[in-house]
Amino acid sequence: MIETKAMAFVNMYGVLGALENLCQIDSEAKEILKGLKKPVSLCFCVKDGPCCTFHFTKEGCRMTEGESGCSSKMSFSSPEAFNNLIDKSKPGMPTKNPVQVLTFLLGTFTKLTDRLNEILRPSEEAMKNRAFFEENTTLTLYTIAGAISALANNDSISKISADYTVDGDISLGIKDTAYITLRVKDKHFTTIKEKCENPRAIMEFADLDLAAGLFAGKVSTINEMCKGTIRLSGMISMLDNVNRILDRVSVYLG
Amino acid sequence: MSKYPEYSHEKSRAWFDRALNVIPSGVYGHLGPSEGLFLPLEKWPLISSRAEGTYFWDMDGNRYLDFMCAYGPNVLGYSDPDVDKAAMEQLKIGNCTTAPSYKMVECAEMLVDTVACADWAFFMKNGTDATTFANLTARAATGRKKTIFLRGYYHGNQPWAMKADYPGILSEEVANNIVVPWFDIDALEKAWDYAKGDVAALIAQPYDHGNFSDNRCATKEYWAQVREFCTKHGIVLIIDDVRAGFRLDLAGSDHYYGFKADIICFCKALANGYNMSAACGIESLRSAASSLSFTGSYWMSAEPFAACLATVEKMKKLDTPKLFRQIGTSLTDGFVAAGKVHGFDLKVSGEPALFYLRIANDDSLMLHQEWVAECVSRGLFITSHHNHFINAAVTKEDIALAVDIAEDAFSVVASRHEDLGLKR
Repeated sequence: MIETKAMAFVNMYGVLGALENLCQIDSEAKEILKGLKKPVSLCFCVKDGPCCTFHFTKEGCRMTEGESGCSSKMSFSSPEAFNNLIDKSKPGMPTKNPVQVLTFLLGTFTKLTDRLNEILRPSEEAMKNRAFFEENTTLTLYTIAGAISALANNDSISKISADYTVDGDISLGIKDTAYITLRVKDKHFTTIKEKCENPRAIMEFADLDLAAGLFAGKVSTINEMCKGTIRLSGMISMLDNVNRILDRVSVYLG
Repeated sequence: MSKYPEYSHEKSRAWFDRALNVIPSGVYGHLGPSEGLFLPLEKWPLISSRAEGTYFWDMDGNRYLDFMCAYGPNVLGYSDPDVDKAAMEQLKIGNCTTAPSYKMVECAEMLVDTVACADWAFFMKNGTDATTFANLTARAATGRKKTIFLRGYYHGNQPWAMKADYPGILSEEVANNIVVPWFDIDALEKAWDYAKGDVAALIAQPYDHGNFSDNRCATKEYWAQVREFCTKHGIVLIIDDVRAGFRLDLAGSDHYYGFKADIICFCKALANGYNMSAACGIESLRSAASSLSFTGSYWMSAEPFAACLATVEKMKKLDTPKLFRQIGTSLTDGFVAAGKVHGFDLKVSGEPALFYLRIANDDSLMLHQEWVAECVSRGLFITSHHNHFINAAVTKEDIALAVDIAEDAFSVVASRHEDLGLKR
């Protein structure tokens, strides 16, 4: 069962959170950002849900928690209303600098989210292009990484897994390609989109093709562990719990 | 330079690849690479060819001194001649028959005479069957819904005993589970209040022998308080002795810790590898046990009963709990000393008969996993996440060999991590 509030956190931290990485690695997104006349810091504030600000400049995008530093703001009356922005492109209520909100939302933001959607929900044809495939897989990793913490902290089933996860940093990554850190402290998960300095547990996929197969549900995690193509090390109980949360991620993002 | 050359596993790997083609995960569960934590995979034997005493051999002919004992069933030694003789003789005269063999009656009588809390015995095949039977009996006897578990629990793989975040488990199936911390009597009372008295059972292992963390032994005082709590509220106290049973005390681990369970569940050490499990209970639960619809095609087969009778008789003769305590202490003292030579702080926890190991130089278990892998790839089979098991075939020479391989493995890991300054 998908919980609406948890879905809002997945949409904020997983889906929209991937805008940071899209703007880093995708040439089309970089071109879109070049059209920005001035920096925009847009806050999405959801009643009884997440609140984050996305800071867009010509150089890229950065997400911060809360509304601090926002130049414009869009409020949503409920997690369901926010989810409609992602699922049905229904905007919320501009509550700060409405002209800038609407201009940006209908322009640069829509172009970026359309591009994100194109990469995260690709056609079979597009995936035949190796560069596109690699971008898709990398962005999917970042999306999943954001969703893991979103669910660990908000989804009632995932919270059981989080409750059994000991403190420490988990390194999750695709070998020589992309890495993220899941920081666990007092059952709370935080996704840090950087390689882990001092991991307590490591899960590393041998290559992009394996990662793509796992993300698409075409290959079995356990089977690959048995084949040795997924490197596991350290406090494996942490990875056990992350794996259970990953099952929930596929329910939410599948 | 390593004293014990590393094994290679080409043939075992080939067999494992064949398994992967036709069995999900190749070898699933605790005996396989995933749950068994074969890290890294290439260091482990994947498929065995034969076993004898305290050793097994893989498909490449490599020999392993085995302190996992098939995760418990090997209690007297693989292919113990006395047990195998009893089993084979029974096979010749009858096994899975329409009217069950008299061996079942003899086996039940033996358990009632041996296990301190037992007024009756009920047979099945696996530990999960026994714990499920016990929980159903508690519900039938009390007419209540909920079960109290102690945190970090494992009582088999039926949905009622699992957690809502496990694949395939429905929240509804675990809705009647209440989890409380170990060694916290106040939490038990709070759980009782929270459940408004609708608690059928408290199920627990005799001490906290969970995975990935130092094992914590119980005290007689703790169990006396738990017993009092259950008695006061009419809660059925179930001891899951599947893992520790007959290794601490032949009369049951409840007896070892000075209390009396209402139902006690056995499996692993019951028949030295022959397939059976049992639940033993007190007189007042006989009627509820009888009322259950609970049976299986092979549950009354005679061969395992014959093996069980021979196993328990031999365990009594050898006083295996005392023997296991001695072996466990001697072995782990040797491991700790060997580790110290190379700068490793090896922690030993739990009961000596089921010792748990952890290198404490780092908190990630990565050094520990390296050491375990180097031990295994040199013929000493241990694990990095689970308690260990001892069998009665272990000799002083085996202990000396185990410590020697362990020291060799410590030296290999130490030389790989000179940057850590382990000897300083």
